[in-house]
Amino acid sequence: MRQLWTMTASDLRQRVRDKSVIIFGLVVPLALMFVFNLTIGSTNDIALKPLTIAASVPADDALAATLVTALTQVDSFAITVDKVSADEAGARVRSAKAQLAVVVPDGFGDAVRQGRAAVIDVTEGDGSGIETDIALSVMRGVLDHLSASAVVVNAGLPSGVAPDRLGALAEQAATATPTVRLTEGKASTEQLSTSGALVAGQAGLFLLFTVGFGVLGLVAEREQGTMARLRSMPMRPGLIVAAKGLVSYILGVVATTVLLTVGARFFDVSFGSPTAVAALVLCAVAAATSLMFIIARVARTAEQASIAQSILALVLGVAGGAFFPLAATGLAGRLLDLNPIAAFTQGLGITAGGGGLADIGVPVAIMLGFAVIGLALSRLVPDRGREL
Amino acid sequence: MAAESSPPSGPAHEHVLVARDLVRRYGDLTAVDGVSFHIDPGETYGLLGPNGAGKTTTISIVAGLIPAHAGTVTVAGRPMGPGEVGAKRSIGLVPQDLAIYPELTARENLAFFGRLQGMRGKPLTRRIDEVLDLIALSDRAKDATKEFSGGMKRRLNIGIGLLHAPTLLILDEPTVGVDPQSRNAILESVEALSGGGMAVLYTTHYMEEAERLCDRIAIVDSGRIQAEGTRSELITLTGGLDYIRLTGAGEIGAAATALRGLDAVVQVVADRHVLTLTVREAPTAVAGVVTTATATGMTLSEVEIVRPDLESVFLHLTGKALRD
Repeated sequence: MRQLWTMTASDLRQRVRDKSVIIFGLVVPLALMFVFNLTIGSTNDIALKPLTIAASVPADDALAATLVTALTQVDSFAITVDKVSADEAGARVRSAKAQLAVVVPDGFGDAVRQGRAAVIDVTEGDGSGIETDIALSVMRGVLDHLSASAVVVNAGLPSGVAPDRLGALAEQAATATPTVRLTEGKASTEQLSTSGALVAGQAGLFLLFTVGFGVLGLVAEREQGTMARLRSMPMRPGLIVAAKGLVSYILGVVATTVLLTVGARFFDVSFGSPTAVAALVLCAVAAATSLMFIIARVARTAEQASIAQSILALVLGVAGGAFFPLAATGLAGRLLDLNPIAAFTQGLGITAGGGGLADIGVPVAIMLGFAVIGLALSRLVPDRGREL
Repeated sequence: MAAESSPPSGPAHEHVLVARDLVRRYGDLTAVDGVSFHIDPGETYGLLGPNGAGKTTTISIVAGLIPAHAGTVTVAGRPMGPGEVGAKRSIGLVPQDLAIYPELTARENLAFFGRLQGMRGKPLTRRIDEVLDLIALSDRAKDATKEFSGGMKRRLNIGIGLLHAPTLLILDEPTVGVDPQSRNAILESVEALSGGGMAVLYTTHYMEEAERLCDRIAIVDSGRIQAEGTRSELITLTGGLDYIRLTGAGEIGAAATALRGLDAVVQVVADRHVLTLTVREAPTAVAGVVTTATATGMTLSEVEIVRPDLESVFLHLTGKALRD
């Protein structure tokens, strides 16, 4: 045990001294987080501008008035409705004094009550943006609701319902509160913001580089000749491998924790329960470390190991959504889900959405399964660099 | 007694090292083919042979780095192998590569390997100071070894190997790539160690080093020990033959063919501009040799009569020069 700690402590001291782990495990990923957050992260934070609508609405038409009322009740951004004549509405859009013109024809309410067709003219101004689209969506929703009255009338007439009774029913259908409601809730899955996903993805991606500073040291020791001396020491050869694994694990846990903590603070992200996040970090580091053992067996030189590590990190990182989320279904989707980086990000999504230890079973199982399979494979593949 | 190697006789515990019938293969290549030898306390034993002869593979087996495919190694009475912790306590390995950590200081390198040997506290500190003095690096003890010269790194490489005062010190070509001054310092260190009672296994392809340091020498080629004994015992294997070395240009191939026809010439080895002749009574034969060589079109720039040495022995045993 003393020999294990002696080798681990010496390795950690060397890694800190040569600064590589600090540069590639902390500085570079943090810098990339800032860069990506400036570019990709801002696309989801859209600031909606105030919208002015020039509307021509017949006086004393209650149903037509519901259209205007619905528009003014939008609370995501400010909508101003200027009531003007039909000609003035079009002129205001053309002169850019309004972004949208709405002309409701005379007799609109009566037409709805009697189940007749009615046409509302809408004109979008130049350079209309997402705000205009939102206003039109709101209007379509109201019109769909009003269309229900036409259905009532057309269904009632053949049945012999009295016209005055039919009109009342049509108005009730047009204005009644919906009996079916949509209640918005939160599930403890995939609740990461764009910035949160970037921080999690970058932490996962660079974890695959950081753990290399431990296990891939086996290849470096072989190249620089110190492996021969270590193996001549009075200790089990397995201790050398165990020490490298421990170095990888310590570096991986420390670097990932720092990246998540600093990233969360700088980009105003919350990953939720610290205990659950810690469990995810421990499992992700175990999975990443197991991959390095495979590379250490297959690579003959440090250069080969470095290339294999970069390829693996980029493939798993991109597939795991380190730069942008990848959506796939079927077999491809299942394969993507089995990626430890994807499982790590998914797990952080669950904790960010309020999930605890009990909710992260699937990503934890994926990462631990990956670690077990990786370690088993590292024992099975031929050790190409061992022959002296 | 100079002879081809045979399994050592006597109880293994009387010797520091006993290697019996070692075999190691790499695919179709048999790198070590039936090697047997032993080393006694205080003895310096040399494995002399060209690059690729099997010396490094042999000491890799002896140091327990790799297993032998056949044969056994015993160090200080304990069986040696990759997982044999007990036997490994008795050896100190100085690999051919510089087995030191560049980011650590000389003292930290020594302390690291000392702790792996089980040394701790004041005894370790005291021993590190002694070794730093021995390898003349006390004044650079706190410097990172990446700033050291090649010779300083070599000396530290040796210092680490003898830090825990092993029963058997194994040195694999410790002077490769070293300047003459550092090389001499290294050789003096090894002489001092064997004088102090430590057994030393020393591999080299430099004949002068083997002659200077080793009590007994094994001449290794093609994975086999071709002959073993003291320097004088080995030289008797040449049968009292002398050597004439001709250096020149022109029709060297034709000269070699003609020289083989002379009665006094036993063997001719051609190596680019040099012909090495094994002859009887060189002082008598040299006139005929020079006449024949020049008559066949070889322009001589140097003629040298060589007394038998280990290189002569190697040439005699293998038919090729040691530097090949």
